[in-house]
Amino acid sequence: MRRDAGAISTAVVALFLGVLAVTQFRSQDVYSRSLQLETPASLTTVIANLSDRNNELRNEIFDLRRDLVNAQESVASGRGSLSDAERQLRQFKVFSADSAVAGPGISIRIDGDFDERALSDLVNELRNAGAEAIAINDVRVGPRSYFVGTLDRAVAVDGRAVRGPWTVRAIGSPEVVYVAMTRTGGIIGQFELIYRNTRFAVSKDTTLNIPELASGSR
Amino acid sequence: MIPSGAARRTRLQHSLVLLLPAVLFGLLVSVQWRTQTFRSELSVRYNAPLIDAANALQKEQATLKTQLAELRGRLDEIQRNASTQSGAARELQARVDDLRERAGLTPRAGDGVVVQLDDARNASLAARDIEKSICHATDLTDILNTAWRGGADAIAVNDERIVSSSSVYCVGSTIMVNGTLMSPPFSVAVIGPQNALLGAFDDPQQLSDIKQRRDVQGLGFRVTRATQIHVPGYTGALNIRYAEPRSLPTATR
Repeated sequence: MRRDAGAISTAVVALFLGVLAVTQFRSQDVYSRSLQLETPASLTTVIANLSDRNNELRNEIFDLRRDLVNAQESVASGRGSLSDAERQLRQFKVFSADSAVAGPGISIRIDGDFDERALSDLVNELRNAGAEAIAINDVRVGPRSYFVGTLDRAVAVDGRAVRGPWTVRAIGSPEVVYVAMTRTGGIIGQFELIYRNTRFAVSKDTTLNIPELASGSR
Repeated sequence: MIPSGAARRTRLQHSLVLLLPAVLFGLLVSVQWRTQTFRSELSVRYNAPLIDAANALQKEQATLKTQLAELRGRLDEIQRNASTQSGAARELQARVDDLRERAGLTPRAGDGVVVQLDDARNASLAARDIEKSICHATDLTDILNTAWRGGADAIAVNDERIVSSSSVYCVGSTIMVNGTLMSPPFSVAVIGPQNALLGAFDDPQQLSDIKQRRDVQGLGFRVTRATQIHVPGYTGALNIRYAEPRSLPTATR
């Protein structure tokens, strides 16, 4: 009888313990992906990012409302809406990488060991910083671009080999993109820790010329 | 009656059997309590208002995207009607339509593959494996790179269309795609040639890190054929402020 009572209490404790352990793991699992677990510093970064995006949306809504009024007036006066369509065409040409483009931005020279995954991460970071057009050496990066390593330690962009030293050029706000790349703990700082024998030089440019996307990459 | 030596040993064994779970139980309760206390102290002071602000901005973003889509639709309608008036306007409109589609602003439907990526749901993972058992922003960029390499035509991550300005951004453990907050599971819808896409994802040289973490830590990663996949058009801002096309805008290239 005493032995039965002991076994039952052991079983109850073990069961409770099991439930608690699982609950602990499950709660970690859920918390790890909710904003609840983020530090105030991370949350501030998330808010700044959302805020920037919303401002971009507001600016574009403002521009489109103006275009809409112009287009309605043009059509009403029988002039057609060619100029608005041309403004749109210019934007889409840049956005689809269909046209060679010019503008201010930054250049990153990479001299030493580097690889395709790092290059892909760098492009991702430049896009996040608002880069409008990107080229690696003379190869334009497009909406469907991909990066692979080659046997001779070069990198291929859309199947085209680009060899080091690499120059990555990005058109966008020189100040914003420069700071995004070079800030403490930013991607260039991380690269400098990983690729210790590689030199990274970032500079602002007043005018960059970037070619259009190669015809096979469209 | 004085208990015999054997009976005393049995009672001692029973006590020891209960001792270990009791200690562990106490430990877990205290860890749980400490975690809660720490979390609530921080969250009450800073996190709660910051989370509210982030959620409010995310909600606002959805409204702004809807407004932008409506404006684009109305402008497109006006230009489409006007383009019937002259040959030049018609050509210009055709060019705008072509570029809009190539830029990813129009929805697409077709056959392809769907890639599922999720945090491991294995409760028995050791703490040191947690990092390897959850999906990271770099996993998504690697999957996108492999899909484009396999000949993808159009891609969306949890209904966010991937375009030339798209980035996968990670802050702490929060992931943002096109500036939109996301959490696992991720569903990457890829329209394109199915066999070539499956070949790219099956290539042992590709995504070796993700595949290893799937096999060892139980990371969720699955690629399946799918028919009639729907990929929405990009609804974010184009945000072209600095780049100017070098060739003059003409109706024909």
